[in-house]
Amino acid sequence: MATDKMDAILGRLGSAGADNETVVSSVRLPVALRDAARALHELGVAPSFNEVLVQGARDRILALVHRGGLDAHYAHHPDVRPSPAAVAMALARMDGSELADHPDVIEQAAAELGAGRDDLSGDDVLVYAAALFAHRPV
Amino acid sequence: MAAPFVTVIVDNEAVGALSDVRHAKHGAALALLEGVAQRRQRRGALRVLVPVAVRIEAGWDRTSPASSVVNRVSGASDVELTAAGADRATRIRVAMAVSVVDAAIAEAAEGAPKPVVIITLDGGDMTALAGRITGDVRVLPI
Repeated sequence: MATDKMDAILGRLGSAGADNETVVSSVRLPVALRDAARALHELGVAPSFNEVLVQGARDRILALVHRGGLDAHYAHHPDVRPSPAAVAMALARMDGSELADHPDVIEQAAAELGAGRDDLSGDDVLVYAAALFAHRPV
Repeated sequence: MAAPFVTVIVDNEAVGALSDVRHAKHGAALALLEGVAQRRQRRGALRVLVPVAVRIEAGWDRTSPASSVVNRVSGASDVELTAAGADRATRIRVAMAVSVVDAAIAEAAEGAPKPVVIITLDGGDMTALAGRITGDVRVLPI
């Protein structure tokens, strides 16, 4: 995606008032999906189908533009890409996990999982680190 | 065991770190947002929020080319300051003698799905503020 186009999308989507302007749009949907959403709404366990659609689309698009934005940043500054261990530590801290107090376990998990892999996520490391931590010698 | 975070709020100092690749804390701040982005791919409904007062304090104009880095890496959506929100933030500011920006952050944290993580550079004042907010609000110094 062209960087200037990405910047325009990010700026518009994140701005206050981004939801104020709406448009009626035609979307082809599986009937079963529509019926399930209507039934859940009638049961009082889900918002309107329109809200479900918009929220789902927003979550997915925000996830995609965030990923795209970070990847564009790493393309310009490859040296700032955080390691899987650093991402795992960041997630442990945000989650309030006890693993945040054991960076050595996270580093070990990342080292053991990461050899030859470039698709390692922070959560991959955290799951393995949790197993290492649970079975550590006492 | 604590519940995984649902909402992330960035303060003006964190915005400063995210905006500048030469900032000493840029890498640490980036690791946090990279973690959020990875979770968003798998779990969807996570939020990164920035109160508009924070943007003003940090000089974050989304339309400025100078903001391109923080626009890209933060994945943040604005928290509008409504009239009711301004009233709530005013009450927080008066009760706790905090800055306008900190009151806006607290107001945003109060209204956001919990657990909330507030990313900041200096956790001291913010930790005291978070302790007065109902619900699970975690302050994360970079």
